[in-house]
Order: sequence, then structure tokens, then C-alpha cells
Amino acid sequence: MAPSRSRQTGSHKAHSLARQWKAKRRRRDLDQIHQDLLPENAAKLLRQEPDAELPGSAQHYCLHCARYFVDLKSLKDHFKSKVHKRRLKQLSEEPYTQEEAERAAGMGSYIPPKTVEIHTQPLDEMEESN
Amino acid sequence: MRVERCYFCAGPVYPGHGVSFVRNDCKVFRFCKSKCHKNFKKKRNPRKVRWTKAFRKAAGKELTVDNCFEFEKRRNEPVKYQRELWTKTVDVMKRVEEIKQRRQARFIMNRLKKGKELQKAQDIKEVKQNIHLIRAPHAGKAKQLEEKMVQQLEEAVAMEDSA
Repeated sequence: MAPSRSRQTGSHKAHSLARQWKAKRRRRDLDQIHQDLLPENAAKLLRQEPDAELPGSAQHYCLHCARYFVDLKSLKDHFKSKVHKRRLKQLSEEPYTQEEAERAAGMGSYIPPKTVEIHTQPLDEMEESN
Repeated sequence: MRVERCYFCAGPVYPGHGVSFVRNDCKVFRFCKSKCHKNFKKKRNPRKVRWTKAFRKAAGKELTVDNCFEFEKRRNEPVKYQRELWTKTVDVMKRVEEIKQRRQARFIMNRLKKGKELQKAQDIKEVKQNIHLIRAPHAGKAKQLEEKMVQQLEEAVAMEDSA
């Protein structure tokens, strides 16, 4: 019996961790994504000019995960995936800020973070536009 | 010169110490030590990492709301140097620190009291449930003494017989 080769699946661990943590490869932070979720920014990101450099010409973008998908099907599959749901959960709290760090350090009373309602971006709109 | 606060652990960052990271949207993140910087690079949430101040405050481990926290703040208001004001401020800082330490310590002691109460209730419950395992210190002592006496008597009789 041949030894079974375990092939790492999915996008995780595609590169070594040290490489992923490089500032050069830094992905969008949660507070940046909270900014993106604001209606005016979200509209811009969801209706981007076709860009041949990006996956799917930048037509299928997941706001919460800050990722481009090649087509609508893969975007829909992604919405059902664990990575996306985990990201929604992470986003369901107010982003951490330097001000919070200072309040935690005793510069002002500490205010606990509020929870934020987060839903996957509506798809019907996108289907119409396609 | 200002003593900044670490973004991750909220510890002080003295001039010439730590690392600062400037994100591509010009936001500055300061870190007091490489441990904090590494954790930031790993995208950990300071509220979820147990050794940070943010965790301790968010989880109710430390005093969060108190008047003594209202003195030290980032005010961004320049104050003209006055010798008297300066000396007074330094004296007050010492006093405030003293009060703050005492209140924080008291908060923690009060928090720990709850655990002691629960532990005591649990102990009492355990004893009540397993009362059959407990023997009184005098249990069986009388019987033992009797047996000893009988043995001694027997020995004495045997000695007499042999004599």
C-alpha cells in the first residue's frame, strides 16, 4: 500500500506562516473592513470597474472577507463556507482601537465593546446587475 | 516627549523602545515589545488574548469604571509652564496612583471572595452527600478497648495456669 499523501486543501497554509505574516502580504484588518461596510464604501467595492489583473475582473467581491472570486457560483459557495461564517462572527464586535488600549491602560474608564449586526451582503442585487 | 501606549497590551512605550507599524492607510500602531508586534502580525484580537490589559478589563478581571481613571488622559491641550502647577501636579500624581492601587486591589479581593463562598458551599454539599464515608474519631474505640482487656485477661489466666 502506497503511503497516503496528505494534500493541504483550501487556501489556508498555501504558504509558510512566516511568509503570510510579512507586512508585504498583509490582508485587510477588521477595522478596515468595518470601514468598507459603510454603505457608500460598500457600493463602490461591490460595483467595481472591470480589472483584468484581479480574479474574475473584480466583479465578485466578498466585503467581509476582502476577497475577489472568479464567478458568482464560487462567491455563493464561499458565503456558505466556514471561513466566511467565522469572519462574520469576528466582525460582529466593534473593532479594537488604540483608544480602547488607552482606556484599558487606565486612561479613562473602560467601555466594553458593543456588538454589531452583521449580515452577508445581499446577492439578489448583484445577480440583477450581471 | 510622550509615553505612548502599546496597541496590543496597553503597556507603556517609552521613547526609544518598541516598534511602530504604519499601515498603508497612514494609521500608526505602536508596540512595546516584539511579542506584541508578533501577535499583531498574526492578527490576534487583543480582547481575546489573556495577558493583555484589554482582555482583563473586558472579562471583568480588573476595575473598569472609577473616578481615579479620569486623571491620566490624552488631552492634546498645550499647557504653559508654571512652576507651582508643575510641583502640585507631581504631588497629586503620587497621591492618585496610591488611591488607584488601593481601589484596584480591593476590587480584585472582592472578586475573589465569590470563589471562596462557592468553594465553601461546594465542600458542604460534598460532605452531606458522602456522609457515610466519614467515621467519628471515637467510633470503635470502646470495642477496641474491650478486646484489649479480654486479651490481657486471657494472657494473665494463661500465665497463672502455666505457673
